[in-house]
Amino acid sequence: MTTNAITNTGRLRMKTKMLRMVAAAAAMFLAPALASAQGRYVHANNSPFDNLDPHAVFDVGRAASRINMYDGLYRWVDNPPKMIPWLAESHTISPDGLTYTFKLRRGVKFHDGSEMTSADVVYTMERMLAMKKGPAGLFLGSIAPGTTQAPDPYTVVFTLKEPSAIFLSTVPEIQVVNSKLVQRNVKDGDHGEGWLSRNDAGTGSFALRRHDPAVGFIATRFKDHFYGWEPGKKWFDEIEFRSVLDVNTRVLGMIKGDYQGTDGYLPYDQIERLRKEPNIQILEDESMRVFYFAFNMSRPPFDNVHFRRALNHAFDYNGFINDILKGSVARNPSPNPNNLWGTPKDIKGYEFDLDKAKAELAKANIQLRPITINPLAGFPETEQASVLFANALRKIGIEAKVEASPWNIVSDRFRSKDTMHDMVPLWKSTYYADPNNWVGELFTTRHHGGRSTTWYSNPELDRITDEALRITDQAERTKLYDKAIRHIVDEAVGIFVYNTKWFGPYSSKIGGIRFSPIGSGQEMRWAYFK
Amino acid sequence: MTKPRFAVIRRFLRDRASFLGAAIVLGLVFCAIFAPVLAPHPNDIYDFHTANRLKPPSWDNPFGTDRMGSDLLSRMLFGARTTLTICVIAVGVACLIGIPIGLIAGYYRGWVSEMLMRIAEIFLSVPQIVLAIAISQTLGPSIENVVLSLAASFWPFWARLAYAETRSVKNEVFVESAIALGCSAPRVMLLHILPNIASPLIVRTSIGMGVTILNAAVLGFLGLGAPPTTPEWGRMINEAREFLPDAWWYVTCPGLAIFFVVMGFNLLGDGLRDILDPRIRRGGARRG
Amino acid sequence: MKRLAIIFSRLIWLVPTLLGLIALVFTISHVIPADPVRVIAGEQATAEQIAALRTKLGFDRPLWEQFLAYIGKVAQGDLGMSLFSQRPITEDLMARLPATLELGIAAVFLAVFVGVPLGVVSALFRNSPLDHAVRVVSVSGLAIASFWLAMELQLLFSMKLAWTPLSGRIDGFPPEPRSGFMTIDAIADRDWEALFSALRHLALPTLTLALPAAAQLVRLTRAGVLEVINSNHVLYQRAMGYPERVIVWKYVLRAAMTATVTQIGLIFGVYVLAGAIVVETVFDWPGIGLFAVNSILRSDYNGIVGFTIWAGLIFILVNLIVDLVHSFVDPRIVR
Repeated sequence: MTTNAITNTGRLRMKTKMLRMVAAAAAMFLAPALASAQGRYVHANNSPFDNLDPHAVFDVGRAASRINMYDGLYRWVDNPPKMIPWLAESHTISPDGLTYTFKLRRGVKFHDGSEMTSADVVYTMERMLAMKKGPAGLFLGSIAPGTTQAPDPYTVVFTLKEPSAIFLSTVPEIQVVNSKLVQRNVKDGDHGEGWLSRNDAGTGSFALRRHDPAVGFIATRFKDHFYGWEPGKKWFDEIEFRSVLDVNTRVLGMIKGDYQGTDGYLPYDQIERLRKEPNIQILEDESMRVFYFAFNMSRPPFDNVHFRRALNHAFDYNGFINDILKGSVARNPSPNPNNLWGTPKDIKGYEFDLDKAKAELAKANIQLRPITINPLAGFPETEQASVLFANALRKIGIEAKVEASPWNIVSDRFRSKDTMHDMVPLWKSTYYADPNNWVGELFTTRHHGGRSTTWYSNPELDRITDEALRITDQAERTKLYDKAIRHIVDEAVGIFVYNTKWFGPYSSKIGGIRFSPIGSGQEMRWAYFK
Repeated sequence: MTKPRFAVIRRFLRDRASFLGAAIVLGLVFCAIFAPVLAPHPNDIYDFHTANRLKPPSWDNPFGTDRMGSDLLSRMLFGARTTLTICVIAVGVACLIGIPIGLIAGYYRGWVSEMLMRIAEIFLSVPQIVLAIAISQTLGPSIENVVLSLAASFWPFWARLAYAETRSVKNEVFVESAIALGCSAPRVMLLHILPNIASPLIVRTSIGMGVTILNAAVLGFLGLGAPPTTPEWGRMINEAREFLPDAWWYVTCPGLAIFFVVMGFNLLGDGLRDILDPRIRRGGARRG
Repeated sequence: MKRLAIIFSRLIWLVPTLLGLIALVFTISHVIPADPVRVIAGEQATAEQIAALRTKLGFDRPLWEQFLAYIGKVAQGDLGMSLFSQRPITEDLMARLPATLELGIAAVFLAVFVGVPLGVVSALFRNSPLDHAVRVVSVSGLAIASFWLAMELQLLFSMKLAWTPLSGRIDGFPPEPRSGFMTIDAIADRDWEALFSALRHLALPTLTLALPAAAQLVRLTRAGVLEVINSNHVLYQRAMGYPERVIVWKYVLRAAMTATVTQIGLIFGVYVLAGAIVVETVFDWPGIGLFAVNSILRSDYNGIVGFTIWAGLIFILVNLIVDLVHSFVDPRIVR
């Protein structure tokens, strides 16, 4: 049963309440909930939606609120991801690569009916830069506060500090807020954070109707959305994203029909359970989320390439991918996802072979010490990978200690080479679909203490990746990234295991889901009831 | 109580519940010591067979296998070591901190006593497990930190108990005469008071073990306990949760182990109370 | 007058105890290994972003200064912002408290209405098979890890039999909260469907929480009743030929009531409040216990501190109320 049924019929029931009560009791106890509310899509999400401010949170788990209620200048769709014009219709880049001029779409309405103009975009950029939270990290390095211009209501000009080939691919994260509405709700110079964490001030395809931080949110379809709604299709009238942290509850709810969709990164055992259900479809897509062991390269013996290769030969790729993950993912031998441009297609990677590992270890000829592995608490897969690895290392004479910590502690330790553990198993997700998101961030000196997870420093690699950021010609950039990736694999700067596959469980009544690695299939504007 | 000692012991043995409790506790100690011998697959603690994961109970794996393909029974036997280590050290440390504080505070009167007991009261103003969670969250997950957080949150119970007992015997004739004979304060506390308040303390130790095992399991379940490579019962249940409902044995077996062991300590505690602490004998119910 | 004096001195002691508790928790939380600023800034933050935020939030000031500022804030009910949801902790806790109370009160009621009668019966029919059975159950109830019991109940009743929902408070998106108690709201609306849904969701968590509490009450009630039955004046009255029924009603019930009232604070604090942490986690029950566990998982130390202080406050207040009630029920304790 859903609330819709409950609230709509609540008042009618007054007179025949006793009879109804008995009937309802019987229905509740005998029949499992059958029908979903007409036109409402219910999604069971694995993260809570406790803050709806698109400029305060920037994680994949909570993407649904910003991606459905707000619009960016451009938008990522499909897989491999491509960027389509969205709030902006087009852009031009100055010859020096520093000035980006966007032409905005005319007649775009905010949910309160007012028109979105360039002033809102400028306010959005300034707000992000001032709050310094979440998505601001993408822009703080390249855009100075106060430099964004609005020469006319439909033109926005961004001026970069230095040329950046990736700036364009971060433009979808400029989620425009209604500047007048937000400014009316600013308290004590908080940029309206308090208010926007509970309310919505966007132009997005869905407008917030209810929000309960402990439960989730409901949003109704925004009829006046600029992209329009093709008549004749049964678009969702309402979307409900409910936070359901327990995996089993999500799966059981899917089976019973309480939910029409849930996250696409469930443990594979659960996917197999769902596959048996006739009313559920599992959509599959190769995502861009590479699972790897990050090495802290600042300490011996990690400075020794033979030692690192020995480690690479000691991970049981087959046991992990085929047994523990039941073959649900494909090996990804390099830091960059196989399905993105710039990744060499012929790259082999290392195979599990303890003899080779021992041989490399002999070549390394170094003093061994116990090493530490720091999996992420609450992500059992990282723990299993660590335990499996520790076990194999023991066989080649390396002692490994496994200690799990929550993600924020792990990411905090990355900040300093002294606090980071020797190895950390984790995923690198897509924040923007450009090779730089992986090889350009994880291993480069410029990202030390920031997005680098390795403390690796190599002048040649720095030069290649810097150059790839300066030039915009994709063919040239492809060559550079090819070189950079080969370098990382040859030097064995980390163990690269697999690229995540997305298994999106949805009710079989639903069509039109468009999966993109950015947003992970949570954008509901394309979906409809069949 | 003027009954001869052996009669007391005989009564203890005759009481089936107490006997069962003692047997379970001895069994736990036995399992912990001889885990490598008893375990059908002792190597499975470190040696995995990923192709064999999540298999239901069989002759070869009486309790089934876990997420890494290890024999669950073997891991549980080694888990008995973890459990026993944690609860013995944690309760031991809590006693070593709490009892002297309670003794001193109970023996002397004055602001120091008042202060000590006030501090204990502050610790007691939060349920123990809440405090233990806060402490072990801060220290990070490891066996040492579990012990530390449990001891740090448990000592006030011993302090309060020792304090109350000391107060009640302090004015007894034998204490007053010892003082009158010129015994030093430490001597009075150690040789005259402590032996006379030992009975309730020993009874509480047994029950405290049970409580500590449950609390340690909660920490393990919340991921604040032993590291992933260590076999620990609470952690096993946590691991197993994502494999429900199929791998029912994975959740059920470690939970039963916790259940029996805690019950063992509780029954033993009840039995000891009957013998050692006649004042609070179960409402005089024994004897019939 | 004496009672008033006792109440007054208790209230006075409340202040230093709470201050001590805050100091204790503050000390614990400020040696936390994660950098809270980093959490607020988000995983993509740069070094400058973090430094700027640190100054803004006052995390660069000396510890004692932070502590004094913290005390001042707590006194006004301000527990700081959640590092994860970026909303005031007090607000988050307030929003979640009714869920915990609804579950806790249901569990206490169940425990009392099952535990006390069983304890009385067990004592009256001492050493009968019934007594033995009750004692086996009560000993077992105290030995079960509640998170394990919760999962076993889910396995049986939700997954295999599909009688009860696996988790949550109600089917569908919960209606706009008014009292915050799903059952009371549903009754006020005469929405019987919602009421049944809420009750079905309550069933398993209540059972899990109530079991150890009921077990403890059985033991205490049984001991209390036995003490009364064997006491001299009951023996005397029996000898005088008072009907057994009168004796049972008069003395046994008073003993049972005293046992319940004196222990209810302990039961509420130890079994319900602390138990809520794990039970709410397993049943995804959106109360303050789940809030605490989520704070742990995210190292949201403001959340952990906030919860601990609230738990302490609730515990202290419940004990205070219990003492007061007790002093009315059993005037002997007023020295």
